[in-house]
Amino acid sequence: MFDITTDAQNTVIVHVQGKIIGNTVAQFRTEIEQQLQNGNNKLIVDLKNVPLLDSTALGVIIVTLQVLQRAGGKLVLLNPQKAVSSILDITRLSSILEVYETEEAARNAFS
Amino acid sequence: MSETIFVSQTTQTSETILVIDDDTDILALLEMSLASDGFQVITASDGISGLQLAKTDQPDLILLDVMMPQMDGLQVIEKLKADTETNTIPVLWLTAKTQTEDKLRGLEIGGDDYITKPFDLREVTARINAVLGRTRPVKYINPLINAMGESFSEAGVAELGSHLQAAAEIQLKLLPEKPPVFNEFDFATMFRSSTSVSGDFYDFIPLSDTHLGVVLGDVKGHGIPAALLMVMIQTASRLLSNQSDSPATVLKRINTLLFHNTDLEQFATMVYGILEINTGRFTYANGGHCPPIHFITDSGDHQQVEESGNRVELLETGGMLIGAFDIATFSSDTCLLSPGDVLLLYTDGVTETEGQTPNNYYGEERLINCFSKNLTLSAESLCDVLQTDLMEFSGTTQLKDDRAVVVIKRTDTQATPT
Repeated sequence: MFDITTDAQNTVIVHVQGKIIGNTVAQFRTEIEQQLQNGNNKLIVDLKNVPLLDSTALGVIIVTLQVLQRAGGKLVLLNPQKAVSSILDITRLSSILEVYETEEAARNAFS
Repeated sequence: MSETIFVSQTTQTSETILVIDDDTDILALLEMSLASDGFQVITASDGISGLQLAKTDQPDLILLDVMMPQMDGLQVIEKLKADTETNTIPVLWLTAKTQTEDKLRGLEIGGDDYITKPFDLREVTARINAVLGRTRPVKYINPLINAMGESFSEAGVAELGSHLQAAAEIQLKLLPEKPPVFNEFDFATMFRSSTSVSGDFYDFIPLSDTHLGVVLGDVKGHGIPAALLMVMIQTASRLLSNQSDSPATVLKRINTLLFHNTDLEQFATMVYGILEINTGRFTYANGGHCPPIHFITDSGDHQQVEESGNRVELLETGGMLIGAFDIATFSSDTCLLSPGDVLLLYTDGVTETEGQTPNNYYGEERLINCFSKNLTLSAESLCDVLQTDLMEFSGTTQLKDDRAVVVIKRTDTQATPT
């Protein structure tokens, strides 16, 4: 469900595949938690292949955002699709989350 | 960074089988076969690393070879059974045909079944499923045993069940029993829970003879944790709202309260509004909730024209979801309900109702259409029509998500001055 890539600047991209709902949220949480525990504080979550996420998954994103902010790092979302975008808009998370459409733009957010 | 960043425990989605055998061909064969049957497979080619994996990965079942160099299967199982972290994991023996004595000894000291080499892969899967079939219920109940500690007993579980029931009843009682009654307005509500207790809520708060607070929201998640937070928000909104404070101010207060008293991961989305009975003005603030829909039956100066010719206005003004960010700010806005107009507040359990084909959801558009065609009906009939349409769409009465709906219709009856 995850594919992790790290670039020369230590920016970690978590490419997620599939809906992040119900039971799969636990896997998502574990993966992100692992990144945080490894001290990776420049995190991009690629949502290109995520058709849907639920409120619990949103909770993981909210915590990650704030934990990284406090640690002097940053969370960036990449390429959310229609349904996910709409959830981010309705909850107004889009007003404080950095969201980019291309990987290049997302990476540049850290430089 | 600490490991207590996230509150909830992670859960395994598929069952894990640990295979311990010194024959790497057998390991590869079993790994491939069991993976294709949907199991997660981990392997060890000797007893010592097998024991280590059993402790760290907590497999659901172990396939254990009897004859291995250094530490043989019998020594492995003795150590497994002596360790409280591994002594409940079922063990299936892999034995060569000639080792009949081993079989018996193995079963005596704790193996659950055995498979004779050379084996038929279908038989392996069948045996595994037979053993897991016996141990699965135990595994499912483990979280309950851990949570209940010493009170885990037949009587204890029965008591817990009755508490759950009581919690559901308390929660239902917290919701207004009947919608308020005014000459000028017609109210109806719908509330369905996917589990015994719900994270959705609505409330009517009488602020004065002419001002009514209306609340509708959705707490993250389901079940008891969501219900507890819901009770907290509902109590807060009753205590923190009054006629003179704007809905934005009230949401800000609830946000602050929640932010400082719950985990970061706990949040809610909600709409709070004040309805002025005499004028039909509805002043609201939307905290990250799916926007209430104002159906406009009169001609007037409004924002959107819906396809069918009916006008709808989405009540989006407000701010972020509630309880997750200390810095959240909110603003209020006003809409005017004219006679005949309908205001619909709902939780996303309505629009996220799944259809009979994959990735097909009820959605805001169908919701608007459903109401637009029926605006002459009473508030209660509108709820009934929605209920029927949702059932038709999903083909089931089973709920995956909680659902709460409030319908407010301004009737044509003029206010009677007293």
